[in-house]
Amino acid sequence: MNVSSKMTEVKQAQPIKQECENHAECMKMIQMILDGEANAEDKEHFRLNMDKCMPCIKTYHLEKCIKESLHNKVERRPCPEKLVAAIKAQLNN
Amino acid sequence: MPAIMSEAPKKKVYTDTQKHDIFNREFMPHIDSMYNFAYRLTTDEDDANDLVQDTYLKAFRFITSFEQGTNAKAWLFRILKNSFINDYRKKSKQPAKVDYQEVETTYNSEDADASHTVDLRTDSVQDMIGDEVANALNALPVDFRTVIILCDIEGFTYEEMAKILDIPIGTVRSRLHRARNLLKEKLRDYADSMGYDA
Repeated sequence: MNVSSKMTEVKQAQPIKQECENHAECMKMIQMILDGEANAEDKEHFRLNMDKCMPCIKTYHLEKCIKESLHNKVERRPCPEKLVAAIKAQLNN
Repeated sequence: MPAIMSEAPKKKVYTDTQKHDIFNREFMPHIDSMYNFAYRLTTDEDDANDLVQDTYLKAFRFITSFEQGTNAKAWLFRILKNSFINDYRKKSKQPAKVDYQEVETTYNSEDADASHTVDLRTDSVQDMIGDEVANALNALPVDFRTVIILCDIEGFTYEEMAKILDIPIGTVRSRLHRARNLLKEKLRDYADSMGYDA
């Protein structure tokens, strides 16, 4: 009996899709989610479907990684002191 | 959300002291971000210095058009972007024509909106150092580079970007989408050349 109930569970579990038929739209939505620009409906759609499609799961992690790399890894240089001084000197002329 | 800049700014009358006060309080805190934006646009330190200086002097000259309490950073970025297009690009070492042509070609190509998945692994990007990511970014045509800088590095909203760039929000969204596809291609080429995916 245990075996049969397990089999039923397996049958009911949805396999993760390996192909995405709407990937162009999904990519746009994933980017808007990561940018904090998605509306409530899109967020809910994302929440309900995120773990069902392998191309979308991969895209989400890749887009997130690139966004974070740009934000955290790309060097930010402080504005040179000389430039600040030059601007202030020009204002006082 | 506060307005970034109104369409018809109300001109104010300020004393010199008030002008300097607004300049120091509202504009100067953004100078590092402005310098980085200028450096990423021009990819040259001297040109970035000139562009930031020009922008701040213009901001001071037109300070009466700025409404206190509104988004000073976006206001300044818009002036810098316009200075870059109008003044700097003309004398740039990189002719603007190349960039415009590349942008137009990409916009008009049939597959611009197609779902083209770039074969790039998250692990490959995680392994890259900042300079490698920056080089990929710098290799993009300037209009595409700009939207990525504004969104992912500076954290502007789509609405703010639309006002900075004088384009509709829908164009911000599609340009960003295309810019990211191009960036992924550059990152993938780099990962391939370094054998990251081997």
